Amino acid sequence: MSQPILALSDVRFSYRARGFGAGKVDAVRGVDLEIAPGETLGLVGESGSGKTSLGKLCLGLLRPSQGEATFLGAPMGSLRSQKGKRSLVLQHPEWALNPRLRCGASVAEPLEILGRGDRSTQSAAVAAMLDAVGLDAGIAERYPGALSGGQRQRVAIARALITEPQLVIFDEAVSALDVSVQAQILNLIKRLQGEQGFAALFISHDLAATRYLCHRIAVMLRGEIVEVAPARLFYDRPNHPYSRQLLAAIR
Amino acid sequence: MSPILEASDLDLVYGTEAGPVQALDGLELKLAAGETLAIVGESGSGKSTLGLAIGRLLPPAAQHLGGRLQVAGTEVFAATADAIRGLRRETLGFVFQNPMSSLDPTMRIGRQVARANGGRPSEARIVELLAKAELDEPEQLLRRYPHELSGGMAQRVVIAMAMARAPQLLVADEPTASLDVSIRAKVMATLLALQRDAGAGLILLTHDLHLAARHCQRLAVMYAGRIVEIGPSAAVLSRPGHPYTKGLLAAAAGTEAPGEMLEPIPGLPPVLRKPAPDCSFAPRCPYVERRCRELRPAARPLERKEIACHFAERLLAGSEP
Amino acid sequence: MSKLWKALSLLWSADRLAGLALGILFVMVLLGIFGPWLPLGDPTKLAAGPRLSPPSWAFPFGTDELGRSFLPRVVEGIRYTFLLASMAVAITAVLGTFLGMLAAHLGRFFDHAVGRFADLLFAFPPLLAGLLVAAVAGPGALSVITVISAATLPLFIRVVRSASLSVAERDFVIAASVAGASTWRIIGRHILPNVLSAAIVQLTYALSIAMIIESALSFLGLGEQPPRASLGTLLRVSSVYLTIAPWLVGFAGLVLSLAIVSVNLLGDGLRDRVDPLKGRPLT
Repeated sequence: MSQPILALSDVRFSYRARGFGAGKVDAVRGVDLEIAPGETLGLVGESGSGKTSLGKLCLGLLRPSQGEATFLGAPMGSLRSQKGKRSLVLQHPEWALNPRLRCGASVAEPLEILGRGDRSTQSAAVAAMLDAVGLDAGIAERYPGALSGGQRQRVAIARALITEPQLVIFDEAVSALDVSVQAQILNLIKRLQGEQGFAALFISHDLAATRYLCHRIAVMLRGEIVEVAPARLFYDRPNHPYSRQLLAAIR
Repeated sequence: MSPILEASDLDLVYGTEAGPVQALDGLELKLAAGETLAIVGESGSGKSTLGLAIGRLLPPAAQHLGGRLQVAGTEVFAATADAIRGLRRETLGFVFQNPMSSLDPTMRIGRQVARANGGRPSEARIVELLAKAELDEPEQLLRRYPHELSGGMAQRVVIAMAMARAPQLLVADEPTASLDVSIRAKVMATLLALQRDAGAGLILLTHDLHLAARHCQRLAVMYAGRIVEIGPSAAVLSRPGHPYTKGLLAAAAGTEAPGEMLEPIPGLPPVLRKPAPDCSFAPRCPYVERRCRELRPAARPLERKEIACHFAERLLAGSEP
Repeated sequence: MSKLWKALSLLWSADRLAGLALGILFVMVLLGIFGPWLPLGDPTKLAAGPRLSPPSWAFPFGTDELGRSFLPRVVEGIRYTFLLASMAVAITAVLGTFLGMLAAHLGRFFDHAVGRFADLLFAFPPLLAGLLVAAVAGPGALSVITVISAATLPLFIRVVRSASLSVAERDFVIAASVAGASTWRIIGRHILPNVLSAAIVQLTYALSIAMIIESALSFLGLGEQPPRASLGTLLRVSSVYLTIAPWLVGFAGLVLSLAIVSVNLLGDGLRDRVDPLKGRPLT
C-alpha cells in the first residue's frame, strides 16, 4: 500500500468565536482521514459542519489544536516550506484572481514563487496549462474582469495545477457556477486528474456534484465525520441517517 | 377567472456603461389565480429581472421599452407611484434569497412583522402570523433581532411578512438557496402551505430544475430574456421539447447513473444588446438549422406544453415516453 | 497616456461637477507653477500703485497695504498653499499606506500598536499641535508640513487598513499565501494595487483638510513667514484691513474656498466611480 498523500489522525480544532462572552467553538472534533495518491475524496457537509476548517487544516493554513496531520508522510510544515506541493481552488470566481494582474501573470505566479525557470519557460508553461484547461492562449493577456465566471474558474484551476502539486483542495469550487458551466468544470477536473494524477479534496455542500466527481466521500456533521464510503454507495443507499437525508434532498 | 399575471411582448433593457443589455426580450407569460409556476433559468436568463419587474422594483438603469405587464388588473409600467405602492402592499408578497438582507438588522422581529402587516396590529395577531409560518414559540421571537435567528427561522419570518396581508401573488426568488440542505424541504413546504391557504399564485424563481418540479404545477424555462418552454412540470422534465431544456437536464448532476458522464452545454449564454431577430439559443444548439438563424421561433402548443423552437416536434419524437 | 485620457473623459461625462472641479484645479496648479512668468504683475514691487486701492484694470485684484498688486500675490499664495499641502499629503500617503497595509497583514500586536499610534495623533487638535510645534521648532514650512502630516495620517491609516483587510480575505490573496508567497510579495503585488483606488480617494480628502489646516496655521502666523505668503498668510494680513479694503479678504478667501471645494468635489467624483456600492432608489 503506497503512502497516503495526506493523513489526519484524531485531529481537533477549536477557535474562539467573535463577540462578547462567546465561548470556544469546536469546529473539528476528532477526525481521521486519509487521501491516497491520485484519489479524489469528497467532503460533504453543510455550513457549520466544520468542513471549511478541515480544508484549511489539510492545507496547513491552520494548525490542529490536537492530533496529527501529515503530508507525504512528514509533518505539515509551513506554507513557505511546502511551496508548489499543495494548492487551492476557491468558490468565488469574482475574487479568484487578482483584478490588477493579467491572467497569464496570475497563472505564472506559483512558478515565480518557486523560482522555477525563467520568463520564457514560465510563459510556455502558462500557455500549456491554459490549453489543458480548455482556454485559448490569448486569455493570458486579458484581465480577469473581461472573463466570465466559468472562464475565471478555469484560470484559477490552471494556477492551482501549474506547479504539478501533489494535493489540490477544491473548496466549493463549482457552487457559484451555473448548471451547464458546473458540468464543464466537473468534467475538466476529472480529466485533469486522469492526466496529472494529483490527489484532491473536494469540499462541497452539494452531494450530487460530489458523488459525480469523487472516488470516496466523507460526510461531515457538526465537526465529526459520520460516514466515509465509496461514491457509488451515494447513488444507492448510504449507511448513516444524515447521509440519507442529504441524498433525499437531491432526488 | 382573469389571470393574476399577464405579460405580453415585454421588453426590458438595462443601460450599462458598456451599452444596453436586453434583459427581457418579448416575454410572454400568463399565470392563473392560485397557480404555482416555477421559472427556471441560469444567470443572464432574466428571471430575477422578471421577478423584480412584477413589483416594479427595478433599479433606475432599467427601462421598459415595450410590451405589457399586468398584475391583478394593474398595468405595472403605466401605474402611478401610489398605485404601484398599493400593489406592492396589498397584492404582492416577495421572498428573496438571503433572509439576513431581507430583514432590517436594527429592528426587532415583532416590529418588522407589525410593519409588514400594516396598521397597529395586536400582539396576538403578530404571534398568529409567525405561528402560521410554523415558527416555534413565536412569543419569544417578538423581542429578538434578526441576527439571533438561524437562517431557516429568519426565512420563515420573511415568509410570514410576505403573507401578512394575504397577497394574491407571491414571488419567491431562490427562497431556499441560502439555507441548509436539511431544512430546505421544510421551509418550501411552509411557503406552499401558506400560499395554498391564501389562494395566492406563486412564482418560484430558481436554477434548480428538480426543486422546481417537485413543488410547482407548471414549469417555465427561461433563456436570454424569454420563456422557451412552459408546461406541466412533469411533462417538461420527462419529455422536454426545447433543446435548452434537454441540455439543462443532461448537464445537471443528480439524475445521472453512476459512471455516466454529464453533458455540459457548450458555450455561454448570450448578452443581448437588442431584441434578438433569430433564435437566441442557436449558437449553442446541437440541432441548429438555417431557419433558426433567420427567424425567431414563436411559442407553439405541443403536447400540453408551449415550446419556442422551430423543430420541437423532432425533439419530442426522439425522447423516451 | 490614452488610458488616463479615457479615465478623464469618463469622469467628465459621468460627473460634470467633478470634471469642472478638476478643470479648476488644473488651472490653479498651472498658475501656481507658471505664475512668475505670466504677465500678471510683480508681487514684490512695493508701491507699484496706491495702497489699498480697489480692483482696477491695472490691478485686477486691487493693491495691498504696501502698494503691491494683489493678483500676483494671490497667485503666489496659491502656489505656496498647494505646495505645502501637497508635500504634507505626499508624506502622509506614503507613510499611511505603508503602515495601513502592514497593520492589516501582520495583525495582532503590530495592528494594535499602529492603531494606538493613530489614535494618539488623532486626539491632538491640529491647531494646538501647530502651536506646540511652532513653539519648539519655530514657525515656517517645515512645522506646517509636520502638523498637517500628523493630522491627516490617522484617517489615512484607518482607510488603507480597512481596505487592506477586505482585500486580504479575498480568494486570490489566500491562493497566493498557499502558493508560498512572502509577505512582501503579497503586500506589494496583491494588496497595494487593490487598495490604491481607496487610497487615492482618501488622498484628495486629505488634501482639502491639509489646505484648511495650512490656512488656519498661516492665519495664526505659524506658517509661511513674509515675504513668502500662502493664501492663509494673505488672509491674516488682509483681515486687518477688512473694513477699508474688503476685496483683499474677498479675493484671497474666494480663491482658497474655490480650491478646497474643487478638491472635495474631485474626491467625491473619484469616490463615486471607485465605490461600487451606490444607493438604489426604487423606480
